Amino acid sequence: MATLDLKSIGKSFGDAQVLHDIELSINDKEFIVFVGPSGCGKSTLLRIIAGLEEATTGSLLIDGDDVSDAHPIDRGISMVFQSYALYPHLSVFENIAFPLRVAKLSKSVLEDKVQRAAEILQLTDKLNLKPGQLSGGQRQRVAIGRSIVREPKIFLFDEPLSNLDAALRGDMRVELSQLHRDLRATMIYVTHDQVEAMTMADRIVVLNQGRVEQFGTPMELYHHPATKFVAAFIGQPNMNFLPATVTDVGDAGLCVQVDAGPALVLPVESAGVSAGDRVEVGIRPEDITQGAGGLNINVSVVERLGGISITYGTTDGGTRLCAALGGTADIREDQKAELKLEPKDCHVFDSAGKVLRRRQAPVLVE
Amino acid sequence: MMDRYTKLQLVGIYASIVVFLIFILLPFFEMFMASLRPLEHLFRSPYQFWSDDFSFQAYRDMWKTVPLLGRYILNSVFISAMVTGLTMILVIPAAYAYARLDFPFKNASLALFLGVNMFTGAVLLIPLYRVLSSLGLLNSYWAMIVPGVAFLIPTGIWLLRSYLEKIPLELEEAAFMDGASRLYTLRRVVLPLAVPGLIVVGVAVFIGSYAQQFLFAITFNQTREYQPLPAGLFEFIGYQSVTWNEMMAAALTGVLPVMIIFLYLQKYLVAGLTAGAVKE
Repeated sequence: MATLDLKSIGKSFGDAQVLHDIELSINDKEFIVFVGPSGCGKSTLLRIIAGLEEATTGSLLIDGDDVSDAHPIDRGISMVFQSYALYPHLSVFENIAFPLRVAKLSKSVLEDKVQRAAEILQLTDKLNLKPGQLSGGQRQRVAIGRSIVREPKIFLFDEPLSNLDAALRGDMRVELSQLHRDLRATMIYVTHDQVEAMTMADRIVVLNQGRVEQFGTPMELYHHPATKFVAAFIGQPNMNFLPATVTDVGDAGLCVQVDAGPALVLPVESAGVSAGDRVEVGIRPEDITQGAGGLNINVSVVERLGGISITYGTTDGGTRLCAALGGTADIREDQKAELKLEPKDCHVFDSAGKVLRRRQAPVLVE
Repeated sequence: MMDRYTKLQLVGIYASIVVFLIFILLPFFEMFMASLRPLEHLFRSPYQFWSDDFSFQAYRDMWKTVPLLGRYILNSVFISAMVTGLTMILVIPAAYAYARLDFPFKNASLALFLGVNMFTGAVLLIPLYRVLSSLGLLNSYWAMIVPGVAFLIPTGIWLLRSYLEKIPLELEEAAFMDGASRLYTLRRVVLPLAVPGLIVVGVAVFIGSYAQQFLFAITFNQTREYQPLPAGLFEFIGYQSVTWNEMMAAALTGVLPVMIIFLYLQKYLVAGLTAGAVKE
């Protein structure tokens, strides 16, 4: 059992406040990903949970006990660092055994545990090597081995895959998900890569400028982004935002006139907006189709990936737009194309960037 | 390639190196030449670079002229070794604290250490004499070791601190996460990685102590048996004559062990530096 509760955690370095009032409740055995652009405070938050950094305000509860002033060991937390932080002068065996040596375990227990960790991570034939003789992925595994060997309740990962090349990153992503299932432990993972967040997380915390922008499952974030920031951050390629004006608020939804584009009736909760308000219509590239929809764009670049053709262009209103069309879509660079938006796929954000919740979003698969 | 030179530049570079080396090595060379000549030929005029009566006789006679010479050489090495050992014991925790911890007056005290270094021992000889006298340390090995340590600590701290700062902080954070105390981390993580730096500091302190012991020896110590080599060399200055050739021979012999250690460590240094290039 390991639940983690953050109660109004705040952190300032001098005058600069980097975290504001963070409230999070993390369940046992959850895989949580903190994601956000650089400088959003995600690493600082992780270091506060680890005990490497002290929160300026608020408290930290593990299994209901206040551990704000406790040592990482007493919190039952271990951490994998971005640079792996392996001890270069020690062998792989000694690196993994390090926490156990500190804990003064007996030789037989220690060897047993290291052996078991090495088996889980397929490092048994590498135990006598030094970290310098290992590849990036193997070093990564040693760092994970060092963190699992003392069986903590909560694992922290600080951008552990950012030093690996793309192919290896994909493999390690799968391995980490597998590890999470095998260890059945609570894991908190920091990344700036939304693909890692989407693929690995049970729930994602999107951080922006020291505040929690949204906390939810990947599909919730994808289908029901709470703010424009989350909508823009989650999903690849990024969501398009088309400026529009509200023309009417009716039972069927919100009537909007997209600038230099079609008039649409969008099925969203429309409390708080009235005719004449400026809003932004968000539409994901993969939800745009080619056809008579009244949205004309001047195509500038077409990236044909085989299965899809990612099309970049600008609308007549001057807004940049990206659409993921079919692999064989009849579309050419430097020509005009007409695109179609389905009202049910559209997100609407008010002038403050808050979403008007969609009524007809797809049923979430959990 | 950035370091490609023209012929002319290369000639210039080597010429400069030769001039520099001659400047440094000529005294040693002349010492060696003087040690080979018989005493009566030393002041021969005109100067003769080479003569047929060169011999190693002075290297045999010097042990008879100054019977305690061996003891003096050992004293020199012993005092320097003690100074180096004690200095390292004091400098390592201090340098680590300056590199990693935050405490009041950190920068001020560091600057103060540098300030102390600006005084030569000579300026402080009289106050030091009084201190050592009231501590009852005069005329003992400690009279030469204690001031030696005191004067070498600042250099040691400055040298080692900058080396320790280069060790990635994440390694220490990782050890902290795993429950290691500061001292455990220092012993098991930081110091093994700092070995090349420790050797640099150790060598610098050893050489520094070797160089400065003369001053402390002639001022604070009257006991013949405790004298280091530089002070012991005075015994070659007799009432009637100075046996220059034997003095030069003794000086060279005394420097020899240090030179051998230094040459050996220099090789180790290069190996240590490349092996220590750890992070990625």
